[in-house]
Amino acid sequence: MGLGQLASRALLRSSRLTTATRTSHFLRTIVSTPELHNSEVAAAQSQPEPDLPKRNPVGGARIHFPNPDDAIEVFVDGYPVKIPKGMTVLQACEIAGVDIPRFCYHSRLSIAGNCRMCLVEVEKSPKPVASCAMPALPGMKIKTDTPIAKKAREGVMEFLLMNHPLDCPICDQGGECDLQDQSMAFGSDRGRFTEMKRSVVDKNLGPLVKTVMTRCIQCTRCVRFATEVAGVQDLGILGRGSGEEIGTYVERLMASELSGNVIDICPVGALTSKPFAFKARNWELKGTESVDVTDAVGSNIRIDSRGPEVMRILPRLNEDINEEWISDKTRFFYDGLKRQRLNDPMIRGADGRFKTVSWRDALAVVAEVMHQAKPEEIVGVAGKLSDAESMMALKDFLNKMGSNNIWCEGNGPNPNADFRSGYIMNTTIGGLENADVFLLVGTQPRVEAAMVNARIKKTVRATNATVGYIGPAADFNYDHQHLGTGPQTLIELAEGRHPFWSALSNAKNPVIIVGAGIFERKDKDAIFSTVVAIAKNANAVRPGWNGLNVLLLNAAQAAALDLGLVPESNGSVESAKFLYLMGADDVNVEKVPDDAFVVYQGHHGDRSVYRANVILPSSAFTEKEGTFANTEGCAQTTVPAVPTVGDARDDWKIIRALSEVAGAQLPYDTLSAIRSRIRTVAPNLLHTDEREPATFSTSSLRPEIKEKMDMAPFETAVKNFYMTDSVTRASKIMAQCSALLLKK
Amino acid sequence: MASTLKYVRVPPNSANMEEARKRVFEFFKTACRSIPTIMDIYILDDVAKPSQLRSTVASEIRKNAHVTDPKVIDMLLIKATEELSNIVEHAKQRHHIIGQYVVGRQGLTQDLGIKDQGNSNFLNSFYSGNYF
Repeated sequence: MGLGQLASRALLRSSRLTTATRTSHFLRTIVSTPELHNSEVAAAQSQPEPDLPKRNPVGGARIHFPNPDDAIEVFVDGYPVKIPKGMTVLQACEIAGVDIPRFCYHSRLSIAGNCRMCLVEVEKSPKPVASCAMPALPGMKIKTDTPIAKKAREGVMEFLLMNHPLDCPICDQGGECDLQDQSMAFGSDRGRFTEMKRSVVDKNLGPLVKTVMTRCIQCTRCVRFATEVAGVQDLGILGRGSGEEIGTYVERLMASELSGNVIDICPVGALTSKPFAFKARNWELKGTESVDVTDAVGSNIRIDSRGPEVMRILPRLNEDINEEWISDKTRFFYDGLKRQRLNDPMIRGADGRFKTVSWRDALAVVAEVMHQAKPEEIVGVAGKLSDAESMMALKDFLNKMGSNNIWCEGNGPNPNADFRSGYIMNTTIGGLENADVFLLVGTQPRVEAAMVNARIKKTVRATNATVGYIGPAADFNYDHQHLGTGPQTLIELAEGRHPFWSALSNAKNPVIIVGAGIFERKDKDAIFSTVVAIAKNANAVRPGWNGLNVLLLNAAQAAALDLGLVPESNGSVESAKFLYLMGADDVNVEKVPDDAFVVYQGHHGDRSVYRANVILPSSAFTEKEGTFANTEGCAQTTVPAVPTVGDARDDWKIIRALSEVAGAQLPYDTLSAIRSRIRTVAPNLLHTDEREPATFSTSSLRPEIKEKMDMAPFETAVKNFYMTDSVTRASKIMAQCSALLLKK
Repeated sequence: MASTLKYVRVPPNSANMEEARKRVFEFFKTACRSIPTIMDIYILDDVAKPSQLRSTVASEIRKNAHVTDPKVIDMLLIKATEELSNIVEHAKQRHHIIGQYVVGRQGLTQDLGIKDQGNSNFLNSFYSGNYF
């Protein structure tokens, strides 16, 4: 927040004033800094200020002028600043490089203006004004550093601290608390409060958010977040005056997939993380900037670790993907990284039990069995959490062994990887904000990609966009029309017979989102061609706007399709003699023949381990460097935050080592070498952190589909939001969430 | 045995290399004589033979073969005597002895031989750890 800087400036100023005038402390004054009392004198003293060094906007903020005529000029502490019309005084100050203290104001939420911490002095106004709620007017002279402003802040601080417990030593927010920081910077140096403090009963918000409601300062950020971003009306304010409380109106849990974000926005320790409670202090943690892999959004996260342990996961700002929020699954699944881990290579003995062996022996056994299988009986499956490097290595290795039966989980039996625009989100997540009509086909974004859903919710709230949904009955946290459950509705839309068609055809920027659950259907090509027809009729794909999207489910999917992990034949699992599962836990192991040899390479003992003959332990995404492409096709890399567990190795290294033991050595020894191999296949995976749009649009280039659509309704792709992959299934917190929060 | 070793005194400095050399041999003999006791108190019968331990002692001494200063040799002898008496007095535990003198410093991976000769550097470093 840059408050430290502000604090030091405030301290410097006050010490200078203290030496300048010295009045006696005879009376017990309202303000502890007595100089602030005779503000006129102090104001006169601090009036003639010479040219100060140039100030830069807070946090490198940049202003965008939608209309150059609307620029107005205001003066902040004497500096002229040009800002667009409609900005608030607080925003003007931020652009002028002055960070105004605040509690209730949050740039992504509506303005409440109830904490009064952001009071500044404006010339010709009789009282200090709340800068967060006051629009800046042309020629306004704003003073942020005057005795009046300081006195106002000090007074507000004193009132806030009146009922705030002094339990910083046992508070989890300690060290990253806005109230702590700002009371150091702007508060009084002594208290006059002798009465009893108010106490409030704690609320039960579920297994994720711990509440200590006595600490609450009623900034109402959480209430506004719940209604505006999360779209649940669970939180509210009850009572008035000193009886004011935040709470759920009736005894119920906060059932939102974004509820963890209230922990971040709470400026005090009233809402803290329940799993993280009393586990660590924020200054002992090492932050690693990484990427989430539990869904296909690729939310930017910071992994806070202490030693070999991941202590918590926090969001990282990325305006294009997750803004500053993350879903509860992303935030709280990390305890799964400590459970059910595979740490040694193991071979299943004759008695059906696993025996720990050395890497040498394990690789030798795998290589020998692999040579006994016929090339077409060798099958490889990449899991939901695989990184691009290891998928590239696995594909190259299997190809060298003569097999091309390799695919990635979730992409279905016959994925269409010909055109990149056919499987990514072409509109981009940020671009969804420009849409005015959404058509969701067989996708429930709330559980499939919570951050995409938050973006749709934001658009619906901001522009009243219409949302039409085709699929099984599902939970939405914004207004939507349930058009139908299956392909029949799609046909009606394509033929223009459906009532929703008028909304779709009249839309300026229509967006059609197809769920990746449809990949698993046999008639997916027919469905896609119908969707393409709808998009064509609605003019959704045109120069400057591409509204035809696929919403993927897993972190590995987009990269797998980019790398061409497409199986040669259908149903190859049934005929496999040698099955290589690289973290694939959702393969139907029932279908695998009994005499097949199954190698499981992964980090968690999950479903597939029960069938595996050999286990090769690999590292999880927090322990390795890997490239992941998200659903909009933006490649991002994870960064190792903690060391690997036991004798585990990175995924691509295991395949590289196995290839040498099997006598089909892969030509890369380093991560950079494997990336230059990727460059020849999918160069977009190397442009990390910037999205490479798809070159062609598929609509005109796809072959004609003759097969008929199956009229069976669409199915729910994600049954349990909290448990979708091996890590989240191993997590205790996620198990509690699915027990308590899922609607039965 | 233990009681005699307890009172072993290291006499004043050796005057020349000859004397130092003689003392080294005397120490080696003392060490060899205490090997049966050591085998006994640390139950080493199933992990090592007396001859193995003798050669370990010898190789430990040979490690300092390059030292030519009698004063330094005396110092090393004092340290060696101290170590020996610690061992004989059962001031150590079994795994100390096994780790230091039976398994040796190259660790438990002693089979690095013909098997790994044809391997690439990558595979050899893969077998030894994840970070390379």
